[in-house]
Amino acid sequence: MLLLPGLIPSWQFFKTVEPSPRVQWRLLSDDGSGDWRDYQPRPQSLSVQAILRRLFWNPDWNDALFVVSLSERLMDHPTPHSLREIQRRLEGEVAQVPSADRLQFQLVFVSRDGGELIQEITYLSAPWPQP
Amino acid sequence: MSFDTALRATEILLALAFIQQSAEHLWRTPEIRWLFGLRLVVSVVLLVGFAPTLSLLVLTGLSVVALHHFQGPYNGGSDRMSVLILWCLTLAHTLPNPRWQELAFSYLALQLTLSYFISGWVKLVNADWRTGTALSDVFAFSAYPVAENMRVLAHSPRLLLTASWAVIAFEVAFPLALFTPLSLIAALAIAATFHLANACLFGLNRFFWIWLAAYPSLIWFQARVF
Repeated sequence: MLLLPGLIPSWQFFKTVEPSPRVQWRLLSDDGSGDWRDYQPRPQSLSVQAILRRLFWNPDWNDALFVVSLSERLMDHPTPHSLREIQRRLEGEVAQVPSADRLQFQLVFVSRDGGELIQEITYLSAPWPQP
Repeated sequence: MSFDTALRATEILLALAFIQQSAEHLWRTPEIRWLFGLRLVVSVVLLVGFAPTLSLLVLTGLSVVALHHFQGPYNGGSDRMSVLILWCLTLAHTLPNPRWQELAFSYLALQLTLSYFISGWVKLVNADWRTGTALSDVFAFSAYPVAENMRVLAHSPRLLLTASWAVIAFEVAFPLALFTPLSLIAALAIAATFHLANACLFGLNRFFWIWLAAYPSLIWFQARVF
């Protein structure tokens, strides 16, 4: 079944522009609070050289796009695989924080409502201990 | 372009695209380093032209393992095109009858044509695309713009309207390019520029390399049929 979309592709790129997910994560303190941070925020700007270099070498961006797919899967057809893959990447992100105890993430979907951009939190993970 | 030349050109471009993809995976998905390490090695073997049929069979098996590991494509459409090219090439090498081999390679050419035409058609029937609103949304809030300062393009309605119709018109009209070799080469050059722009604006570098790998099949197909 996983092969079929490759052998008989639909090719409906950007048929509609769907609400777009952002992954935010936080370290939980003992009282259950913590500041939310964006996972892999995009840079404010990129030089022409950086853009051209990314033609050949763009692993972090491609993995960020996979996290977007995982977020959409988590909302459409939730599986332990999607949850675990997001958790594993966040654990790598905060590996440098030795005091980190428990982690939590949320999915914020951004969309347009009339002329306004709106954000909606559609998923809040259960906290889990950092390995 | 002869059938054998087109096959070989596709093998080389596919191998280069797979080497690029595999190197990125080795850096970013270490949990399955063995898979993409092996894929990298076999792609180099395919690139130099040693045992192409065996190389393609191994790469086909690895593509199934990767799909299972990621529970689907890792990189959306570019992975789907990768799988399509790989399977068509493998069938073109392994089917017993030369006519069937040509049919397998023709299927790739057909799908490449459809990849543009269907993408254009679904935009054409969508009012948001016809008014430029959809492209504005892509820049305003989608996950694709590679830098925050690119989001300002969402507020250039004339530019976006022009760009939307340029993309729609090109994609829908793409099959007409098949009527002459010159028009096809021109269309493929424009298409490659389009993928290059997507790579620069939206970071879709893998699409650029893998779509190029399918072009020899269409150049051969045009000469064979028209």
